[in-house]
Amino acid sequence: MKLTATTSTSLSRREWLAAAAGLSCARSVRAAPEARVALARCPSYGPHLAPLLAKMFDQIGGIGPLVAGKTVAIKVNMTGAATIRQGHEPAETTYWTHPDVIAAAVHLIGRAGARRIRILESFAEGTRPLEEEMLIAGWEPADLLGAAPCVEMENTGFLGYGKKYHRLMVPGRGYVYPGFDLNHSYEECDVFVSIAKLKEHVTAGITGALKNLFGIAPPTIYGVAAGPDEPALVPHGGRMMFHTGYRQPSRSAPQEIDPASPREEGYRVPRIIADLAAARPIHLAIIDGVETITTGEGPWIAQGRARKIHCVRPRVMIVGADPVATDAVAAAVMGFDPMAERGTAPFETCDSTLALAEGHGLGTRDLGRIEVVGTPIRDLVFPFRAYS
Amino acid sequence: MLKSDWVPMRWPAAWTDASRLQLVRRTPINCLVGETAPPFPLGELRFLRLDPASPPEGVVLVEGVWPNVKTARRDPNAAETGPTGAPWVDSNGWRIRLAQALNPGKTVWLTYDPPKGSEVVPPAAFAIAVAEAEAYGAHWVITLDERFRQGLENSSEEAVAAWNKIAAVLKLSAAHPEWRTFEPVAPLAVVSRFAGDSEFLSREFLNLADRRGLAYEIVPLARAGQAPLSKFQAVLYLESGPPEGALRDKLLDFARQGGLLIAPAPLGPGKPAETRFGHDLYPAGKGRIAVPREAWSDPYVLAGDVHLLIGHRRDPLRIWNGGMMNALYLASSDGQRGVVHLVNYSFRSTLDSVTLGFPRPYQAATVYTAEAAMPVEPHKRRLGVEFPLPPFSTYAAVELRG
Repeated sequence: MKLTATTSTSLSRREWLAAAAGLSCARSVRAAPEARVALARCPSYGPHLAPLLAKMFDQIGGIGPLVAGKTVAIKVNMTGAATIRQGHEPAETTYWTHPDVIAAAVHLIGRAGARRIRILESFAEGTRPLEEEMLIAGWEPADLLGAAPCVEMENTGFLGYGKKYHRLMVPGRGYVYPGFDLNHSYEECDVFVSIAKLKEHVTAGITGALKNLFGIAPPTIYGVAAGPDEPALVPHGGRMMFHTGYRQPSRSAPQEIDPASPREEGYRVPRIIADLAAARPIHLAIIDGVETITTGEGPWIAQGRARKIHCVRPRVMIVGADPVATDAVAAAVMGFDPMAERGTAPFETCDSTLALAEGHGLGTRDLGRIEVVGTPIRDLVFPFRAYS
Repeated sequence: MLKSDWVPMRWPAAWTDASRLQLVRRTPINCLVGETAPPFPLGELRFLRLDPASPPEGVVLVEGVWPNVKTARRDPNAAETGPTGAPWVDSNGWRIRLAQALNPGKTVWLTYDPPKGSEVVPPAAFAIAVAEAEAYGAHWVITLDERFRQGLENSSEEAVAAWNKIAAVLKLSAAHPEWRTFEPVAPLAVVSRFAGDSEFLSREFLNLADRRGLAYEIVPLARAGQAPLSKFQAVLYLESGPPEGALRDKLLDFARQGGLLIAPAPLGPGKPAETRFGHDLYPAGKGRIAVPREAWSDPYVLAGDVHLLIGHRRDPLRIWNGGMMNALYLASSDGQRGVVHLVNYSFRSTLDSVTLGFPRPYQAATVYTAEAAMPVEPHKRRLGVEFPLPPFSTYAAVELRG
């Protein structure tokens, strides 16, 4: 299976899933794998990540045809603020994607012939360049900018280096939004990569390649201080409207399909994630599960939780072209059933993002349809809920 | 005794019993102030009638504000968020530093009273007021409110614990006079009159720079001509018009030698090479001159823009999990020793996981709190060294070596 940027069109997946849904015994009959996900043990961060990731890319069909001559946008996970740590542990070993993982991926994508690589992330406050945010965190941005030729960075929480926002629509009908106005870098790319962290999420159950896309929505339009008519110039405050639906985005952007729909975050957040992932399809998903935290997405969720946050070392890397399948494998590694529905861990209080993304035709969450290459899941299961 | 060594306390008028002196005899407090002298012999203690119009010789009186974290109106346990996104803090550090810069050689006394009215101030909050002043090389004229005073009279556990902490902070400060000789470690010099039409912008800039961790040194305009600038990476000329005369030449030379001069208007003809963070950047020799595209008006925006123009790579100190506190980083002239004063403005919370990071490869550190002193080991990181600090409640001084 060769990966190309055109193989993952939502229509073909949707058609396939529609056909699959017609089979009354879809789960009991082992169908041909629809997706391939590479899973590997990774004891630590460091220079050995590049050869490991290279092997994993090969295991899913190679990235050469996908990225050669293309502009590749990479959304990393640097949620929260660079000045916040879980205890004394750096963000990268707890709740951010580690720079070694990003550097390895950038290096390999560059080596595979990418014409240009853009590392992207947004922040709820201010218009600081991404490089500056990394310096605040204690990272050396030059390590990433120098990992391959023609590497750029952009804070996509506002207009950034673009002149206008670009509208990306959800194919077919969105769950909550028909489309989104985003920073130019999410449209001006041929290939889109999501590099996420293996984490739980207090609102969405799990954090993975799909949930990582929550951060592509600019707070100037979707944040607390979004302009009522036009986007604000500067982000100021998080995307609370995604959680509670207390207001609409700036009127210049697509408004909610049904403002009378439930305002409950367990309903909204998974649907909006699925909408975002449908509007901005992921071609390559990479999940950093070498070191992380349990219980939620960042240190700020600790207050008032029955479960404590634990710094843990699952020591895994997960790579796939199907983001739903990649997240499904991630969920299984974390000790969850990716087919779980609302009411069952990890989706006790929310709908399943995996199911909703599957409904959008973005991939499959059914492990029976996923070929896991490399190390079997059973050898790498790291039950997050064992930590209370 | 030099008058600069006086450590003042406003003596409660209700304390007419000499036995109350026992309270201060166990502390570095050596100067009582008030309207009238206590009706008993003071021994080695001095008494001063504090007159703002005629401060003691060698002392500068600054009104100041009650230092604290603003709490949200709806939830007294939640911090109110300021424009920085971090909790809003009322602080005096910048006021003290400005008064020191404008009055070199004099000791700054803060004279504000505890909050009056319906607000209940726990005794623990008084230790913050003392710690803040001491950290910045000043003294707060310790002033008890009714609750704290009565608590001490009744030997309440809360009041006695707070008083002991105040005494411990004062002793810690007195035990390290060398820290008061150290100089700020800062990439930025702020040049201004800090008065006239630039008063609000310049003073609020200092306040917000403190909150966002932008390290600066204050250079009063009157002394800018003599001030050495070569140790700075950037100079912010915070006036409404550009510098003139000899100072213009000096600042231009600073830029030509490789510095970044941030000025309110161009210093001469020429076209900007680029625009960044709201400023046009004009090449000047090896350096640059940054000029705002629109006249400076918002100190919050200005502090953010200046920080980005300089770049976080120039930050001499990085802090994690320190949202409720301010920091002051000082070093000896040879750079071999340093101290970082950390003031936690919330009496409700202990800071249990603050980490400090330095590009300078310090070899060792000792953390002094009101309760203890303990060594901490450096951890090598990509951008230098980091020191994970033990928990502290009100104040910590981190002494650095190597």
